[in-house]
Amino acid sequence: MNIRAIVLAAAAALMLTGCATSGPKFSEMSATMAAAKLDTGRIYFYRTALIGAAVQPEVRLNGEKVGKAVPNGFFYVDRPAGNYQVVTETEVEKKLTFTLDAGQVRYVRLNISMGFWVGHVYGELIDEGEAKSEIASTRYIGSATTP
Amino acid sequence: MSKRSLWIVTAGIALFMVACAPPVTQLPTQLTPGTGKSFRLASPVEADISTGRSTTLRANTRWELVGTVSMGDVYRTRDQVVTLRGDGIHEGYIVVRERALVGFYLPVERAFCPVAQTQPLSIEP
Repeated sequence: MNIRAIVLAAAAALMLTGCATSGPKFSEMSATMAAAKLDTGRIYFYRTALIGAAVQPEVRLNGEKVGKAVPNGFFYVDRPAGNYQVVTETEVEKKLTFTLDAGQVRYVRLNISMGFWVGHVYGELIDEGEAKSEIASTRYIGSATTP
Repeated sequence: MSKRSLWIVTAGIALFMVACAPPVTQLPTQLTPGTGKSFRLASPVEADISTGRSTTLRANTRWELVGTVSMGDVYRTRDQVVTLRGDGIHEGYIVVRERALVGFYLPVERAFCPVAQTQPLSIEP
């Protein structure tokens, strides 16, 4: 086996590892997920794009690491009503700010755009209807945290 | 530097510039809470906030008064997500004066972002 074949095989293995998300699908899990407590809201984070699969930055919510931007994956957190800032960082820091009401559900899609050396991953607030259809086929990658 | 290297560096800088939009204008302001007024937006509105990314307000959305800033009345809707996009993305409420969109209130930043050009709104009860 020549060096080129080894490099290609390693790259393919790395890419497949990056894409591997093995948890249950949102569509399978949503019916059994406990609702958020009355005085909190829920924030779902999800990433559909497989482009730039190796780029999986941490997702920070008001400075706290809550998960990673894993392609084809989703996770959620329950938080009290208030103001929130989502930060993702690769070669630049990207910010999303929004409010959360008690009982409200927010959906943050983690997109990737072109960068200089590495892609930029950023959060975008998505309407519930659009988000529900996009998140349905993603797989759970988190462990729900409550305040 | 060879012509090829120069071309690669120039293309890289251009790509980087495209990827980095200017920040959303944020003028600090104070919201005085208020309630009791609402309206339905009958026609869609495309608002330019001078970042190169516009914000669309959809038709048939209902807007509820949440307060007042010095630039006008502040309304929010639950019928669509409203965000302002620049180098970051910020949730926004609309600011209305004399039945026209004059800008957005950023509730997290407690700031006002003006639109490039005031947009008349097609308002119905």
